Amino acid sequence: MRYHLLTIVFKIYQLIKNSFVLILLLFILRGNSEFWLLELGRYAVIIYIPLRILYIIVAWFVEKYEWQDQTFHIYKGVFVRNTRTIPFSRIQNMTRNTTLFHKLFGVTSLTFETSASGEDESIYFPVLSKERANELIELVQLDKRVEQATEEQSDDSQSVTGKFSTQSKRITYFKPVRKDLWKASFTSLSFLAIFPIAYGLYEYVQPFLSDIRILDSFQVILDSVWLFVIVVIVILIVSISFGIARTFLRYGKYEISADNNYIYIDRGVLEESYFSINKKRVQGLEIEQNFLKRLFGLAEVKLISSANPNQEDGSINVNSLYPFLPIQEAYALIEKLLPQYKLTAKLERLPLRSLWVKLLRPSWLWITATILLAIFKPNFLGIAWWVLVIMLLVLTIIQRVLDYIHTRYAISEDQAQWWHGGLTSRMFITKRKNMIEMTYSQSILQKIFQVASIQVKNRSILPRVETINDIPVNDARKSMAWYLMRSKDVNIKNG
Amino acid sequence: MAEIKLEYNLSPSYPKIKIITDTIGNIITLIVLGILFYLDYSFNWPAWVFWVLLVILVITIVGFIWSFIQPKLEYNNWSYQYNHEYLQLKFGVIKKQWVTIPMTKIQAVSTTQGPVMKRYNVRSIKVQTMGSEHIIPLLEEDVALRLREIIADFARLQEVDDE
Repeated sequence: MRYHLLTIVFKIYQLIKNSFVLILLLFILRGNSEFWLLELGRYAVIIYIPLRILYIIVAWFVEKYEWQDQTFHIYKGVFVRNTRTIPFSRIQNMTRNTTLFHKLFGVTSLTFETSASGEDESIYFPVLSKERANELIELVQLDKRVEQATEEQSDDSQSVTGKFSTQSKRITYFKPVRKDLWKASFTSLSFLAIFPIAYGLYEYVQPFLSDIRILDSFQVILDSVWLFVIVVIVILIVSISFGIARTFLRYGKYEISADNNYIYIDRGVLEESYFSINKKRVQGLEIEQNFLKRLFGLAEVKLISSANPNQEDGSINVNSLYPFLPIQEAYALIEKLLPQYKLTAKLERLPLRSLWVKLLRPSWLWITATILLAIFKPNFLGIAWWVLVIMLLVLTIIQRVLDYIHTRYAISEDQAQWWHGGLTSRMFITKRKNMIEMTYSQSILQKIFQVASIQVKNRSILPRVETINDIPVNDARKSMAWYLMRSKDVNIKNG
Repeated sequence: MAEIKLEYNLSPSYPKIKIITDTIGNIITLIVLGILFYLDYSFNWPAWVFWVLLVILVITIVGFIWSFIQPKLEYNNWSYQYNHEYLQLKFGVIKKQWVTIPMTKIQAVSTTQGPVMKRYNVRSIKVQTMGSEHIIPLLEEDVALRLREIIADFARLQEVDDE
């Protein structure tokens, strides 16, 4: 089956969008320059872009996709033909993204992510009609539902009704309310984003302004205190409203729902996206709270999965459930979405001796910074270098004391859960069967104080490494023994 | 609390072989440094180059002396054991580490042998998982080959829900 005809338009649009800055620079801003690199660049662009467009058009005629027996076959490439076969069962999650371009034409795009890395990692349909997108999503999800149903009852008609019942059971668990969004606007600090944007604009406009005496007008502003205050206030208002608008656009329309097997996230006002992941594919969970979010009682919940966290447009991390959840709601949400995770376990605190270990451990960062500062003695905002050294030291100590206070852990039954971290604190929770490795380690300092560290690895594109430091030796050894009982939780098959 | 030691040790020739290979490496480093000092002297390189070379020289010499003590300590601290479910490794002189890897998560196992190792009939084993890579250095050849087979055999099994 060929890709949607609009794929050509979309790819050309993207090509132009991506090379817009380059073209602007080469032909307009520096249009008169005879610097050889720019000359060469102009020729390269003139040759490359038409060739690329030709390639896109030819590729549309040649590249195809099809599916049969629950497997995708993808044919790619014009000169080097490349065929990929991807069984539905290897698909980890799916994202449907409707950008403004897609909205304009009433179409959408779809990405299926697999756990493999490299070339094979995802199947991307840049343009699909909405019906076709739904059809493909149904197809892949249906496969799993049938699989699920046949596991329980190997009856064909049963599995079909099973599909409908699971579908109707999709329940919405979270929708942000206005109050959360206001809080989010401030904690995200997104209003600061105006500075890089303004700076970028200034960079663009600067060449045209060379005649205008910018410095003079600055001087006028600085001369009058009142004018200066007004300008600052205007900038503040603009940037804050900008930040609020940005947050509302990004996180305003947001819905987290789930049925028996899948978690769904629908989001976006201008650009809509839909994301779904099989619950079985979730390797663990993470709650992250930075300093500002803690002040506002918010937290971010992330799913740890083997899917690639970097989407092509990278605007929103697909693994994040929602970055501004009230903390209690975050717990409740996790328990509803993934009932197998129990967040109510009693968490142990660290003994006092762990605090000494944390404070006595040499801070290589601080030592390096001190040496560098002592050598170069920089004049930073008129502060003497040794003051900077002391400030860094205080910051390091605060960070460590906070880490001591925040660290709590529970490693029992079939799951491990712990909080740790200084200014930004994080909770990590996973199941024993999802840990692919555990390491116990003890430095000399830790040995003196009879504490140790435990490190676990989880499966992901880049293996996920989580460490808890300075827990009592007894507990660390118990954890190792606990991990050796792992076979209780897993079923082995002969592969 | 007493140190726990796992079932098996590395090849007893570990310290000897390690000292030989380290010494070869260190001598090469010293020769290179000597050439650099000579070039520095004859081409009048900037003054800081001399100081950098001097620091490297001091570090190398300290390392050279340490390389005669370290292998014995490493050998004493290395142990491993395995059963049909787990491979466990314990090592580290200053920072002690104890790694547990489920056999089902092992993806590849291989042996390697360098020229010095060949002379002493030893091999090292490399185990790769989805997340990392571990090396058991210097085992007697027959032990290494048998262990490779055993691990490969146990690792063939898979857990049901990773596809």
